[in-house]
Amino acid sequence: MTADLTCRRGVERLMDYLEGVLGAAERAAIDAHMAGCPRCVAFVEGYVATPRIWRAATAAAPSTETAAALRRFLAARR
Amino acid sequence: MSPAVELADEVLAVRAATGDTTAFETLVSRHEGRVYRLACRLTGSDTDAQDVLQETFLAVYRGLASFRGASRFSTWLYRITTNAALGHRRARRRRPTESLEEFLPRFDEDGQHTPEASELRAASQADALLDGKLLAEEARSALERLPDLYREAFVLRDLEELETSEVADLLGVDAATVRQRVHRARLMLRGYLSHLVGAKT
Repeated sequence: MTADLTCRRGVERLMDYLEGVLGAAERAAIDAHMAGCPRCVAFVEGYVATPRIWRAATAAAPSTETAAALRRFLAARR
Repeated sequence: MSPAVELADEVLAVRAATGDTTAFETLVSRHEGRVYRLACRLTGSDTDAQDVLQETFLAVYRGLASFRGASRFSTWLYRITTNAALGHRRARRRRPTESLEEFLPRFDEDGQHTPEASELRAASQADALLDGKLLAEEARSALERLPDLYREAFVLRDLEELETSEVADLLGVDAATVRQRVHRARLMLRGYLSHLVGAKT
C-alpha cells in the first residue's frame, strides 16, 4: 500500500489525515509518502496556510457607526 | 454583580430574559464583533452584514425566553447569524461568478503533482508577497466564487474556527460532509493563492 500511494490519493485524504480521522494503515501510508515527496510537503504548507491567510484577510470589524446603528435599531424595538 | 467576575453568556441570557437590559447590552457588546465578521464573510457585503447584525440581535432578544441553555449560547448565536446571512444571500440577485475549479491541484498520469515543490510552496507565502489591501479584496471576491455549501463550511470551520462537529450540528449535516466541503474549499483557495502570486497551481 505504501508504495502505491500517489500524491493525488494523499491530497484526497489530506483533510481527514489532518483531522486525525484516518485509520492507522492509511495514516502510515501517507506519512511514508510525505517523507519522500518534497512536492507533497510543499503542497501541504500551502493547504494549511490557506485558512490562516483567509482569516487575516477577512477579519472585518463593525465601525463605530454600525455599532451605534445596532443600538438605535434595538432600542426602537424593545 | 461584581465587576471582577465575567458572567457566562448563558447566565446573562437568563438575566436578559427576565428584563435585565444591562445583561442584554453585555451580550451585544461581547458578541457584536463576531456576529458582524461572520455576516461579512457569509454575505460578502458590508451593507448586508449590517442588516444581519441587527436582525440577529433582534432575534436573540425575542428568542431569549425560548433559549433554555440546551446548547451553548454561542452555538445558538452562530445558528441565528448563519440563517440570517443565508436569507440575505438568497434574497439578493447575484451576478453569476466564475468557478474556482480551474485552481484545483493538477496531477500527471501517475498521480504525481505536476508543479515543482518551489511552485507548490508559493501559496503559503502569499500573505508575505502580496499587498494587504489587494489580498483583502481578492480574499473576499474568491469567497464569493465558492459554491454556497463550500463557503458556509469553510467560513464556519476555518475562519470562525468552530469544531467540525459544531459546524455539522449548525448546518444539519454529518462531520464527514463538513470535512469534504472544507477540503474542497481549501483546495480551490490554495490554488487561487498560487495563481495570485504567479505560481503554477
